Amino acid sequence: MSRYARRQIANRIYLALSFAATAIGLIFLILVLYALLRNGIPALSGTLFTAATPPPGNSGGLANAIYGSVVMTIVATLVGTPIGVLTGTFLAEFGRGSHLAAVVRFVNDILLSAPSIIIGLFVYQIVVVPMGHFSAWAGSIALALIVIPVVVRTTENMLELVPNSLREAASALGTPQWRVIVQVIYRAALQGMLTGVMLAVARIAGETAPLLFTALNNQFWATNMNAPMANLPVVIFQFALSPYNDWQMLAWGGAMLITLTILILNILARVLANWSNQTP
Amino acid sequence: MAIATVSAQLDRQRVFDVLFRGATRAFAILVLVLLGGVMVALGVGAWPAFSHFGLGFLVSSAWNPVEDQFGALPAIFGTLVTSALAMLIGVPLALGVAVFLTELCPPFLRRPIGTMIELLAAVPSIIYGIWGLFVLAPFLQLTVQPILIDIFGNIPIIGLLFEGPPLGLGILTAGFILAMMVLPFIASVMRDVFQTVPPMLRESAYGIGATTTEVVRDIIVPYTRTGIIGGVMLGLGRALGETMAVTFVIGNAHEIHASLLAPGTTISATLANEFTEAVTKLYISSLFALGFILFVITFLVLAAAKIMLIRLQQQAGS
Amino acid sequence: MTMDYSKATSSTPLPPSLKPVIPVSVSMPLIRPSNGSAAQTAPAQGVAPKLAVKCEIKDLRFYYKQYEALKGINLKLHDKRVTAFIGPSGCGKSTLLRILNRIYELYPDQRATGEVLVDGSNILDPGQDLNRLRAKIGMVFQKPTPFPMSIYDNVAFGIRLYETLRSRELDERVEEALTRAALWNEVKDKLRQSGLSLSGGQQQRLCIARAIAVKPEILLLDEPASALDPISTQRIEELIAELKSDYCIVIVTHNMQQAARSSDYTAFMYLGALVEFDETEAIFTHPSQKQTEDYITGRFG
Repeated sequence: MSRYARRQIANRIYLALSFAATAIGLIFLILVLYALLRNGIPALSGTLFTAATPPPGNSGGLANAIYGSVVMTIVATLVGTPIGVLTGTFLAEFGRGSHLAAVVRFVNDILLSAPSIIIGLFVYQIVVVPMGHFSAWAGSIALALIVIPVVVRTTENMLELVPNSLREAASALGTPQWRVIVQVIYRAALQGMLTGVMLAVARIAGETAPLLFTALNNQFWATNMNAPMANLPVVIFQFALSPYNDWQMLAWGGAMLITLTILILNILARVLANWSNQTP
Repeated sequence: MAIATVSAQLDRQRVFDVLFRGATRAFAILVLVLLGGVMVALGVGAWPAFSHFGLGFLVSSAWNPVEDQFGALPAIFGTLVTSALAMLIGVPLALGVAVFLTELCPPFLRRPIGTMIELLAAVPSIIYGIWGLFVLAPFLQLTVQPILIDIFGNIPIIGLLFEGPPLGLGILTAGFILAMMVLPFIASVMRDVFQTVPPMLRESAYGIGATTTEVVRDIIVPYTRTGIIGGVMLGLGRALGETMAVTFVIGNAHEIHASLLAPGTTISATLANEFTEAVTKLYISSLFALGFILFVITFLVLAAAKIMLIRLQQQAGS
Repeated sequence: MTMDYSKATSSTPLPPSLKPVIPVSVSMPLIRPSNGSAAQTAPAQGVAPKLAVKCEIKDLRFYYKQYEALKGINLKLHDKRVTAFIGPSGCGKSTLLRILNRIYELYPDQRATGEVLVDGSNILDPGQDLNRLRAKIGMVFQKPTPFPMSIYDNVAFGIRLYETLRSRELDERVEEALTRAALWNEVKDKLRQSGLSLSGGQQQRLCIARAIAVKPEILLLDEPASALDPISTQRIEELIAELKSDYCIVIVTHNMQQAARSSDYTAFMYLGALVEFDETEAIFTHPSQKQTEDYITGRFG
């Protein structure tokens, strides 16, 4: 066989392999989504959203877990977003070229990819132990620590995209720097920054490990932030590994809810990002 | 407007300027404090175990809560092996995806397929966990693992890797799930760095008649070598720390076996399973020690990845 | 109402028919009367008053790190007149303009030495409050940069920085600024729409309205029409002709014809140095430097 023919065949094989690799990835995604829908839809019923988690062998719902997850997500976002935005502002506006900014950026990226179970251990040490008990506050703080690096990254990127001419135009009017940033630059980057927050929320919506030893879990309705609070991921963890069918079905239902929420948030974030790219 | 009032206003603005700048700086430093805090908190929690067991902790296979005997070796072993498996399977797949997206895929499909791959990354760990437990593990147990045992079981050395009954759960399953989880991360980084290759370079390679495979192998990959390594290491960092997906499918046994079909454990799986049930101080401290070890390993891998990626950026900028 | 940061300038308004032809270098004024009506145009003593110098630049040098980008500039800018900076790309005209409101200070490694006296006080003095300076000296940039807010808020932004006005007063000030910028009629029905929804020429006039809303005394225009189509360019030039009765205007332009049309004084720069500065008519009809003549006649540039 000629050398040329051999090269062509080798090329075809490798390209077919790369096509296969992509197909594997996509099929995997479809398989997971299919399993979620197939096993989760039977769990969909009115009681899913109204009844609390049941003791083993009974039927019930996930209402308290959903409530707990929503509450802790909101608190984590409210706490983590301002810190993340201000830090991202420092990196983009005040720290350009400074050593402090370079170090902060480096450390932030490490925290971004750090195992979330480590964050859970950390918050256990500094919140749960001093308090003496698990609590939803601890859980929220753990989630906030995951929100912060994401928001820092996206805020910095979005602020850097704002053209310098806008900063100059605002400064040329005599605007003090903090107003240039807050009243002009933030407004220009607003859509991008919102996208970042949405991505952060999508990230913490499914995080289990940080909640395992902070908010723990609670079988009953709990609105007290100072006590353990039910949340979807830990409930899924507990129920899925149990031998009870009712519990397993609820676990699938919860898994489906989380995944759908995250997918919708991600798609919304993308749509928002594309839309903001089109405004002149 | 009286000059005095405007003066006062301008002075007030200057104060706000300083306050604002100070606030951003303070929170930036908070990020640094956080990292330091994590290290310190873990170290403090781990200290009793390290001082009690000494460095033998790292190589001991004991894990006996009743007798307060703990060793990190099975967990470290499991962490490293599952991550290595994840890389072995995931990196070639990611390369394939990146090549497909940048060279083969028709332009109108690029965005949707790229998005779907990125959605793989968005699905949380626990979802992969229960899918692995209820769908993949039985499948492997019934179909794939028996085949593997049949094919490889009798070959002298390789057979050791496939010893034991097909459980469905175990190191191999965990490695496979991890591979699918790191695939989107590595593929994204690879795709991004592939796109930094100057079009001139690719065009000249195609221009002399190189096939796509040759262009990728001889031009694109060497050019983006640093970025690829950085991306792989980022993926490795993720794999090392993954908790929930692994916990569901690894079998949770503090044992070390040569066989890939055997159950095992990883550091994060141990923590997830046992932390809330640890009663004695030494038990808890041993778990903290595991966490500390994991943190050190991931920190080193992520820092190295970051440095490589920064170097690539500087290279591209010059 | 004006913001009285300066001592009062004493320029007697000259009738529009009499184009001032007093050369800067001569302190004794000459008069060239326009056609007829000499009696009503010449002030009582038979001598036109000396034009007020709004800004005097003395031995100004500018450095990017170690590189000397501007070499010893000496220049006088007259109130109620338009001064144009012209020259080939890279000659330093924009650099010079951007010193006048110290906007270069947003960037590290850039510094200026020398003196720039506005109404007698040196604005390069470290003690000078930058925001106060920029309230007095406004700037319009080459690329229209409306803020991401409504048209109304764009114009009101600067006003709100310095004054607390009741909403009716604010409305009046916004309308006044937009009218002076020749934009009011086009936007009066859509003040709440985003500034970004306007066309390029309209956006630039919005930026001019925004700059004059704070009632500055000097207006710096950095190639204000270079990003615009010819019709918009013409409107901007007409606007400048109207505005000059109230402001000292400095315009940087790479378009020589625009300088010849719109300005009263012209400074020709080359490679960071001021080659020649004179009344526009003199520069374009009988320049005294060969380099100026070469540039004007298109032998280089």
